[in-house]
Amino acid sequence: MPWPLKVCQFRVVTRPCIIDARALTLSLGTGDGRVEILRGVSLQVAAGETLALLGPSGSGKSSLLAVLAGLERASGGTLRVAGQDFTAMSEDSLALARRGRIGIVLQAFHLLPTMTALENVATPLELAGESSALARAEAELVAVGLGHRLHHYPAQLSGGEQQRVAIARALAPAPAILFADEPTGNLDHATGEAVANLLFERTKNAGAALVMVTHDEALAHRCGRIVRLADGEIVADAPA
Amino acid sequence: MNWRTAWKLARRGLDWRFKGLRLLLACLILGTAALSAIGTLTGAIERELRARGRDMLGGDVEFALAGRPANAAESRAMAALGTVSEGVRLQAMAQAPGRAAATPVELKAVDPRWPLYGTFSLQGGPAAAPKGMTAWIAPGVADRLGVKPGDALQIGAARLTVGGVIASEPDRLGEGFALGPTVIVSREALTASGLVRAGSMARWKYRIRVPQTAQPQAVADGFTARFPDGGFGVRTRDKASPGLDRFVSRMGQFLTLVALAALSIAGIGIGNGVASYLEARRESIATLKILGATSGDVARVFLLQLACASALAIAIGLAVGVSVTPLLGHALAVETGLVIDGGALALAAIYGALIAMTFAAPPLLRARQTPAMALMRARVAGAAWNRRGAALAVAAGLAGIAGLAVITAPQKLLAAGFLGGAAALFGVLWLVGWGLTKAATRWPAPRDPVWRMALGNLHRPGAQTGALVLALGFALSAFVLLAAVETSLDANIARSVPARAPDYFVLDLPREKAGDFRALVNRVAPGATIRTVPALRGTITAFGPAERMTRVADLIQIPDDAWALKGDRGLTYAETLPEGNALTAGQWWPAGYAGPPLVSVDEKLAQALGLKLGDRITITLLGVERSATIASFRRIDWDTFGFNYVLVFSPNALADAPHNLAATIELPARAKRPAVARALLSGLVRALPSSSVIEVGPVLSQARDILVQMGTAVLAAASVAVLAGMAVLAGAIAAAREARRYDSAVLRVLGASRGQVLGVMLAEYGLLCGALALLALGLGSAVGWAVVTQLFDFEWLPGWTAIGAVLAVGVSLVMALALAGSAAVLRTRPAQVLREL
Repeated sequence: MPWPLKVCQFRVVTRPCIIDARALTLSLGTGDGRVEILRGVSLQVAAGETLALLGPSGSGKSSLLAVLAGLERASGGTLRVAGQDFTAMSEDSLALARRGRIGIVLQAFHLLPTMTALENVATPLELAGESSALARAEAELVAVGLGHRLHHYPAQLSGGEQQRVAIARALAPAPAILFADEPTGNLDHATGEAVANLLFERTKNAGAALVMVTHDEALAHRCGRIVRLADGEIVADAPA
Repeated sequence: MNWRTAWKLARRGLDWRFKGLRLLLACLILGTAALSAIGTLTGAIERELRARGRDMLGGDVEFALAGRPANAAESRAMAALGTVSEGVRLQAMAQAPGRAAATPVELKAVDPRWPLYGTFSLQGGPAAAPKGMTAWIAPGVADRLGVKPGDALQIGAARLTVGGVIASEPDRLGEGFALGPTVIVSREALTASGLVRAGSMARWKYRIRVPQTAQPQAVADGFTARFPDGGFGVRTRDKASPGLDRFVSRMGQFLTLVALAALSIAGIGIGNGVASYLEARRESIATLKILGATSGDVARVFLLQLACASALAIAIGLAVGVSVTPLLGHALAVETGLVIDGGALALAAIYGALIAMTFAAPPLLRARQTPAMALMRARVAGAAWNRRGAALAVAAGLAGIAGLAVITAPQKLLAAGFLGGAAALFGVLWLVGWGLTKAATRWPAPRDPVWRMALGNLHRPGAQTGALVLALGFALSAFVLLAAVETSLDANIARSVPARAPDYFVLDLPREKAGDFRALVNRVAPGATIRTVPALRGTITAFGPAERMTRVADLIQIPDDAWALKGDRGLTYAETLPEGNALTAGQWWPAGYAGPPLVSVDEKLAQALGLKLGDRITITLLGVERSATIASFRRIDWDTFGFNYVLVFSPNALADAPHNLAATIELPARAKRPAVARALLSGLVRALPSSSVIEVGPVLSQARDILVQMGTAVLAAASVAVLAGMAVLAGAIAAAREARRYDSAVLRVLGASRGQVLGVMLAEYGLLCGALALLALGLGSAVGWAVVTQLFDFEWLPGWTAIGAVLAVGVSLVMALALAGSAAVLRTRPAQVLREL
């Protein structure tokens, strides 16, 4: 994809920088009810890098992920993702920017309940105008081991299966970055382990960067880098 | 995303059992069905009236004269206009010779050219005008006299032979209100009867077939301009039955307005339904946005789903409308059969689509404009959204609906007024909702936790108070309106049978036989009350100050209350103020008055024409103009149902004109038996063969039937509004209940008993209903008053006890719906609810 090669600051990497966030702030509410969620976060992520965001509840890690993924607009600072300046984009431009470049996996799966597994995976491809959406979606579901569950609705799938569908859906458009918010948080240990394996494997195969929010130290240590947050600030950033 | 992809996603997201969209479906089906049924029915009746106008009138133009035939100059002028068919109508008594039975009839003498249009048929096949001494009789005459074809029939001095029983009389509707069954005879037979004499209450009708190129109205205008003082009543084929036309068009308009009201109420339901539907899909919308769908994409997907549901609802509504039209027609005594009226259906469909899209716009725009993350955070606090965009969309939609309603309404001002009223009602309810929320915020918190929570529920973030006030306010007002209109109509119907009414009217009673008449009635029915008055018929031709009188012929439009100016009127003279009348201005003339002719005028007519004491009134009586000075104004108690005349002259003004008397007979209670009626009728026909009798009972029941039909139509139409109101109510309560599920679950986790949770809900609805019941009483009564007095011209006679009872039922219904809805929530285990949220 044609974004410029750039060496990320603070870290010497040989790969192009795919996320470049500087002094990001995020405030919600107004007046006395105003809450500072992010307080000047700067973070660079290289293409293909795997990064875990760790921190206690309320530290701002999920909010940071939402801002980096273009789901939430930062109140201040600058953000370039996959070569595009997210800072100045409207809601709709952010949605368009996500198409095909960014995949997102959430703790609660968020599958569309009225669509089958196949249709769920095909949706982002169809939104991007992909003509062979269903065929690609099928291939992706086969790759996550759900070739036999193509036409099942979310309610007919187990939690682990639902999260595998969500991973397939996120990776189907071959994104450059995959964001995952507590991807195993709703699963039992064994299933969570299997889903995590799948997540790392599929991300690696796709050559995508992975930014994952988690509470789970063990899971975080499977990433190449761990960034720790507290009170909306980065307090540590080191290789795992 | 293009529309094709949007359709693909919309189709996947749509539950084909329309779960979540059933409120929208129910409301739209109800509204569209009502509009299409009413449009189809009124369209069918109006088309029938237009198409059959020529047949109903029996000509292209009709000139009618009271008390005299056209003179030679008038006849020549009519003949020059086209083919003329001349006829005479008068009340008469028919008797089967050799039998005691006699019956009042409407005698219709026709010439051989009758009918100029349409087909006349007897039981057994088509027939032409009767010849010689043959009579065609209506089934009512055959039944009452027990005569059949071939039998003899006596009318006046004429001995006729029954030639056949009438099956279809093409100009029956155009003849107007009948005071007895018809007997059709030739002019020769009428002459032989000896009933037409100077002063008799006969009406001459001249129907004319004009050349195809001629415009009937222009022909009529030309003729009346030539004979402005002739006293001609004029009708054309376009308005063959003005009374019926007016009735149908008023009823049609009222019913359309009711249907529009139902659809507007349904609009609230649609708005609530769509809001709940999109609320339930908040997560799906968020997910779509996360996957890269823009606001436009989301709007397209859900717009297509709503359009699908709306199209289905509209189609079902139209089908229901078409199939109930014959039933509605049956209730109104109009046999339409199954009619598919493309225009009416298209209009109903357009209204349905406009309402659906207008009221669906705000929730749709809300969902469209909300960012993905805010959707996930907005469970407690309402997410920020662009209200101006929604207001603009709603305003544009409402302007479209209002424009369409006004453009398609025959009475545009009335339609505009109604829409203005509806908008005001919306405004008032919105203000009340806002006010209640504000009041609940400032009200000191009650000590009782149940009441404190109920009060808090009215104003806290995410409160449904606004939507509930709109829905409850509309529904309860609709209940009150329905009850007020129904009870008023019932009271008016009851009043149509006066407490004291005569049993018979006797017309064309020769003055010299008044003594014989009294003696006969007293012999057959001792104790009967008899009243006689001089009876003349004439036309008002001019009125106003002596020096600048207004000619009726010059008026472009006759004022609403001046119906007395239309055609010929009954006139009388009297020495003393008639019974049931009261002087409101001026003085009654002294007994034996011999000065310049004077007249006393009905005060309502005087007001309509701007008359003052001392002004002059000119009438045409038997082709001769007479003038009199206005000496007094009177208030007439029309409910007495006796002889009531808008113009009563001093005896010296009219007594010299040839005329007969009219009489009323009121039988004592013990004489109200069929045997007395038979003896009286046969005695009268023998002693006074030229007089005719009208039985009051059947006439009253005819008038009563019309009112009952009207009441049925109002009830049917209003029921639709109430049904829509109930659907909205159920929907609003369901939506509010959804918002309460979380709270109820949390309360129960915190140790609240089911009774306490239920108490909070009942207290909240109790507070709302208490405030809204009073408001609904005011609003519903105000609209009811306008409908009864302004649209129907009836008296405002609401039954407050019944209205109170209906309102109580409405309030109980709300509480029951709230209670029934809560039961499901209370039965659910808190853990389950919390897991689902």
